[in-house]
Amino acid sequence: MLPVTFLNLAITIMDENKSNTDFFLDVDNKPHQQVAAGLDNSGLKRTEELSIANKELAFQNEEKGKRAAELIIANKELVFQNEEKEKRASELIVANKELAFQNEEKGKRASELIIADIELAFQNEEKEKRASELIIANKELAFQNREKEKRASELIIANKELVFQNEEKEKRASELIIANKELVFQNEEKEKRASELIIANEELVFQNEEKEKRAAELIIANKELVFQNEEKEKRASELIVANKELVFQNEEKEKRAAELIIANKELKYQNKEKEKRAKELITANRELKKAEDNIRKLNEEDIRKLNEELEQKVLERTAQLESANNELESFSYSVSHDLRAPLRAVSGFAILLEEGYNDRFDDEGKRLLSVVQENAKKMGVLIDDLLAFSRLGRKEINKSVIDMTELIENAIRELSISMHIKAKIIVDDLDAVMADATLINQVWMNLLSNAIKYSFNKKNPIIKIRSEKKDGEFIYSITDNGVGFDMQYAHKLFGVFQRLHDAEEFEGTGVGLALVHRIITKHGGRIWASARIGKGATFYFSLPVLQKNN
Amino acid sequence: MIMKNIEVEILLVEDSVHDAELAVRALQKNNVAKHIVHLKDGAAALDFLFGTGKYKGRNLDNKPKVILLDLKMPKVNGLEVLEKICSNELTKKIPVVVLTSSKEHPDVEKAYQLGANSYIVKPVDFESFRKVVNDLGIYWLLLNQPL
Repeated sequence: MLPVTFLNLAITIMDENKSNTDFFLDVDNKPHQQVAAGLDNSGLKRTEELSIANKELAFQNEEKGKRAAELIIANKELVFQNEEKEKRASELIVANKELAFQNEEKGKRASELIIADIELAFQNEEKEKRASELIIANKELAFQNREKEKRASELIIANKELVFQNEEKEKRASELIIANKELVFQNEEKEKRASELIIANEELVFQNEEKEKRAAELIIANKELVFQNEEKEKRASELIVANKELVFQNEEKEKRAAELIIANKELKYQNKEKEKRAKELITANRELKKAEDNIRKLNEEDIRKLNEELEQKVLERTAQLESANNELESFSYSVSHDLRAPLRAVSGFAILLEEGYNDRFDDEGKRLLSVVQENAKKMGVLIDDLLAFSRLGRKEINKSVIDMTELIENAIRELSISMHIKAKIIVDDLDAVMADATLINQVWMNLLSNAIKYSFNKKNPIIKIRSEKKDGEFIYSITDNGVGFDMQYAHKLFGVFQRLHDAEEFEGTGVGLALVHRIITKHGGRIWASARIGKGATFYFSLPVLQKNN
Repeated sequence: MIMKNIEVEILLVEDSVHDAELAVRALQKNNVAKHIVHLKDGAAALDFLFGTGKYKGRNLDNKPKVILLDLKMPKVNGLEVLEKICSNELTKKIPVVVLTSSKEHPDVEKAYQLGANSYIVKPVDFESFRKVVNDLGIYWLLLNQPL
């Protein structure tokens, strides 16, 4: 582009020069004509001078046009040179890149060569080491060769020695062969002698064995003799004892004989007495027979009368019993009602006293008051238990089929509300029974609470409940591993207010087992227990296997 | 003892003076009841309720809100009183709570048959007794909506 602009600029310059020239010509011509019209000669000279000047100017113009064309050419030349320079510049850039690439390659090659040099240096060192090793090995080999040569020469000498020794040995061998033959002969002689000796030995051995047998037989015979002697001595001493015994028996017999004589006399006397008695009995029998005959004479009407009288008496007695029962009932009623009221007053007013006047009591006063309260409470429990016991006497038994296992599970649940159950209770699959569910529940409640109470202080209290069918009865049992009791007091277990344990140690009124006993007996069953102190107790009760309401 | 215009909240019929005192103390303790009339036997209770004898002329509109009745009493016993209260138009709407020492089964049954509203066995232990009487007062005087 640049060269083209140059070219245009050159052309413009050239055109301006041209128009300037034209304008100059026009202006110059007009005044020249006007002047020519006004002046004559002087004007002609001036005209010639002007035309010379014009020619001069035209020449200068031509020169200028030539110069312009030369400038154009020169410009073109410059443009061309510039293009060449640019080409050359781009070629130089390419060449530079090529050089840079080659330099990098050389750098890489150089570093490779360095690595190769290092490798070569290492290999050379290795070769030198190997060479020095080889030199040492060569020296070693040379030394060994020398040693071998020495050894070879020694071996040659030794061989010669051996050859000599062999010759000597052959000589000796032939001498030995002769000696051997001599020995063989001697050996044969010895063997003959040896076989003779063996036969002689066997003879001796046989004789020895015979002697030993004989000796053993003698020992046995001796022992036998000793034993027989002992037996004889024993027998002798036994005979002495027997003799003494016989003497004693004889004495006894004599005594007995004397006694028998006395006894015989006695018997004779007794016989006489018996005969007398027999006579008396016969007389008595006769009298009895007479009396029997009299009784037979009593007629049936009399018997009927007697029966009626008896029945009347039974009725009277029953009525008496009923009234006694009623009396008992009203007694227990009044026990329930009349004993309670004063008791409540005792405990109630004691509490009011405590509440209202406590600050006026010293410690001993407070203690005495608490003793009053405790005992009032205890008496309340006693009354409750006693009432339950007496109420049971009047209660009708109402039998139904009882699922014992279920009943016990309910009882345990009920108990766990009022007491802490620490024991592990194992209940077998129990036999179902026909009985009064409320009462049997009471039985289990009492037995369970006892078992729990008396095993509470054990480390791992366990209570097991089982049942079995035996001889027409179901036998239920409850076993604990608690404190147990002394079996010599077992007969007191089921009495009212009987206790086998200290009230301080185990709470209770002594009514529970009496109640259980009463319930079981009312069902026609039995109750018993077995125990060991410190090992636990088992309570058993039986209930008859019965039909419904039988 | 003629109370004509004083409102009677509780009529306590109880032969044991000491039981009565304990009950009254229990009822007064938390201000459950202020006006308690205590009578010692069934005959007096009937006179009071029907305005006879000693209580002739008593304003009979002044009815107790509840009657606490002991069963075993001299002269007229509790069951007889109960029978009369429940069979008379004048008194049959008054709630009667039988309060007794007896757990005896026939008593309970008889009392309910005659129309007792409640049957409470007095606990032997005074603390429990006090609580029972207190609860009774709260229930019949404060919670129960009379006719």
